[in-house]
Amino acid sequence: MGEVILTMNGIDKSFPGVHALDHVNLEVRKGEVHALMGENGAGKSTLMKVLTGIYSKDEGTITYEGKEVEFSNPRDAQAAGIVIVHQELNMMNHLTVAQNIFIGRESMSGKLINDKKMNEEAEKLFQKLNIQIDPTEKMGNLTVGKQQMCEIAKAISHDAKVIIFDEPSAALTEAEIEELFKIIRDLREKQLGIVYISHRMDEIKVITDRVTVMRDGGYVGTLITKDSTKDDIINMMVGRVIYEDPKTQSNVAKDAPVVLKVEHLNAGKMVRDVSFELRKGEILGFSGLMGAGRTETARALFGADPVDSGEVYVNGQKVTIKNPMDAVKCGIGYLSEDRKRFGIVVQKTVAENSTMADLDHYMSGIFINKKKENEVAQKYVDSLKTKTPSVDQLVVNLSGGNQQKVVIAKWLVRNCDILIFDEPTRGIDVGAKSEIYHLMNELVAEGKSIIMISSEMTEILRMSDRIVVMCEGRKTGEMDISEATQENIMHAATLRD
Amino acid sequence: MEKIKNNALVKKVGFNRLVLCCVLLLMYVIFAILSPTFLNYNRILSALNYAYFLGFLSLGVTFVIATGGIDFSIGPVMFCAALISGHLLTKSGAPLIVSLLVSVLVGTAFGVFNGYLVAYWKMPSFITSMASMMLAKGIGSVFTATQSVSWPQSTQENGSFRMMVKVTTGNGTQIPTGLIVLIVASIICAVILNKTKIGRYILCLGSNKEAVRLSGVDVKKWEMLAYILCGMLAGIAAIAYVGAYSTVQPGMGDTFNNEAIAGCVMGGTSMTGGIASIGGTFIGVMIISLLQEGILAMGFQKDWQYVITGLIVLVAVYADVRSRKRSN
Repeated sequence: MGEVILTMNGIDKSFPGVHALDHVNLEVRKGEVHALMGENGAGKSTLMKVLTGIYSKDEGTITYEGKEVEFSNPRDAQAAGIVIVHQELNMMNHLTVAQNIFIGRESMSGKLINDKKMNEEAEKLFQKLNIQIDPTEKMGNLTVGKQQMCEIAKAISHDAKVIIFDEPSAALTEAEIEELFKIIRDLREKQLGIVYISHRMDEIKVITDRVTVMRDGGYVGTLITKDSTKDDIINMMVGRVIYEDPKTQSNVAKDAPVVLKVEHLNAGKMVRDVSFELRKGEILGFSGLMGAGRTETARALFGADPVDSGEVYVNGQKVTIKNPMDAVKCGIGYLSEDRKRFGIVVQKTVAENSTMADLDHYMSGIFINKKKENEVAQKYVDSLKTKTPSVDQLVVNLSGGNQQKVVIAKWLVRNCDILIFDEPTRGIDVGAKSEIYHLMNELVAEGKSIIMISSEMTEILRMSDRIVVMCEGRKTGEMDISEATQENIMHAATLRD
Repeated sequence: MEKIKNNALVKKVGFNRLVLCCVLLLMYVIFAILSPTFLNYNRILSALNYAYFLGFLSLGVTFVIATGGIDFSIGPVMFCAALISGHLLTKSGAPLIVSLLVSVLVGTAFGVFNGYLVAYWKMPSFITSMASMMLAKGIGSVFTATQSVSWPQSTQENGSFRMMVKVTTGNGTQIPTGLIVLIVASIICAVILNKTKIGRYILCLGSNKEAVRLSGVDVKKWEMLAYILCGMLAGIAAIAYVGAYSTVQPGMGDTFNNEAIAGCVMGGTSMTGGIASIGGTFIGVMIISLLQEGILAMGFQKDWQYVITGLIVLVAVYADVRSRKRSN
């Protein structure tokens, strides 16, 4: 490890209602691979966005190459030599590799683009990195791994001195990861500073020199990787005081019937051989890190995405769910993690959204019975304590928590017995949050069953009767709430095969 | 201004529609001042003739635009329906009632075709309807061997269908029955759009199709129905057209697409889907019809009508974009 190239000191950033970064520190040296770790929502991405000028900081200093800097946009940061390799690749599939790498700064001969020269430049870059890619190949024909390497080459071509890898291995195969590591080691040799964001404990041990851990927007500490164990890091990541009382034992009767049984469900890359059971009156928590395949599992089960194979039983009966219509007929309701896109029709009223899934019961002949519709909508506005001036209010005018209640009302109007709640409290303020928890407890007390997908550990431990943990599309753990701890959930969530 | 907007009656009718009504009245006054013959009853009848068929086209396409789609085939489909049914009536000796039914059926068939491709095969409505526009033109031409077709006059045999457009009483007074028919049709369309399941789901899926699908609703069926309604109304428009103008020529009809869509957009139907107003469409159609009559009355070329219609559409679309920006 060489001299310090980048120091972020006491970085503080607030958004309305959220203290996103609370005096965070990060130090990167030349010739170092520095891991940045933390749970979902710990603030890693926000910190990197502050660094590269996407967000402006409220407090703190950034020192880069001995001078205090503040970039106003990613272009400035890039020009100074700080580059991010994003998790989601920003590549144009129809252009060639070389055209992608030099986008926005094409080699010109007069007014025309000189493709030949760009191809040669790209070739030189690849040689420097010891990778074999044809610069004239269309980007779309490359594997994700190769595309990532092009992204790295693009970063190098900007004369980068600090490269930030944002979960680079998420979409790569074992062999591709090996190749990626070779390149990263190579870059380390060349005295670049590297920030490596990842959830994968095993990789951290293999590739990084130091680890900085963040938690809830705060700075926890920095360790030297080779002197610390996996457990040390996990403890730092989850070691917070839980301010919500966790459940200590399951509220579900031992002989409660199984209402939903899923066997060997496969759907695309993100749902691989998933099996589980849901009992009457149970809240089954689905835990895991971002991209673990939980939402994909829910969507496949609900018929929103195509299923490759697997069997689903509802109340002991085998059912075929090809689309959401079938799922709703089986009494399954799905509350999406992305309310605005998949949950509500914002330009319609509370009443219209409430009866969306069950309009057949609110008809008089061929006409919609507006009076009956308003009555049922009002009933659920009252019982869910939705804050709205009237049921004729457009949903777009409600707050996030109240919009969520409208979506819940939609499934309650349909009288669904199996409810899938995907991140039910995301983007909702604390007060509305505990109301939603309260509501979920009431629902299961009435005999409904809930699958709750959540990325918040406290939510999982507070609400679930049983917990399924997923990692990379597979079920990697299942435990009763009485056995569950943050540590063993996190352990299962990082279990790769 | 705010006071007017918040008035209960204004809210019920809709501020934009009131503005549109004012535009309509203002246009009539301007034309009457510029061209004294405009106050002539025959001028009004002539303007209404244009409004009948355009009205049916525009009502139909309102449903399609409400889903977030577009149908560029309605004009040629109307002509295709008029050509095929007229040919059967005048050349093959088919009974009048059969010919009229065929006209509606031809329109409906195109609606089913467009709707199926868009809803079930997920083809873009722009291209799909452009293709069926060409199909409609071609099929109409082929069926009549590129001959134009003239429907019988009201005094001739089989001319009774013209009662749908105009009735002449014993003393020579002409009663515009077409206006009554169009108003009744508009009311039926408004009821379908606002009071039935078809309309509810069409508007919802135009606003957020994925959310509606994830509510377990058969979105494909409802989306296709919008196109079918549109096609059916184009078939009815064919009858209104020949009732007013008698003769149909093969290979024409595209300009009516634009005018029908323009009427719809002027009336406040959002091109991105989810928001639609039948009342607005009705007034929009009246404006376009009056405009084309007024331009002719003043002795200008028809091209000027396109210029003015184009400008009005731009203003209407800009107002739509602006209001959506504000609500976000």
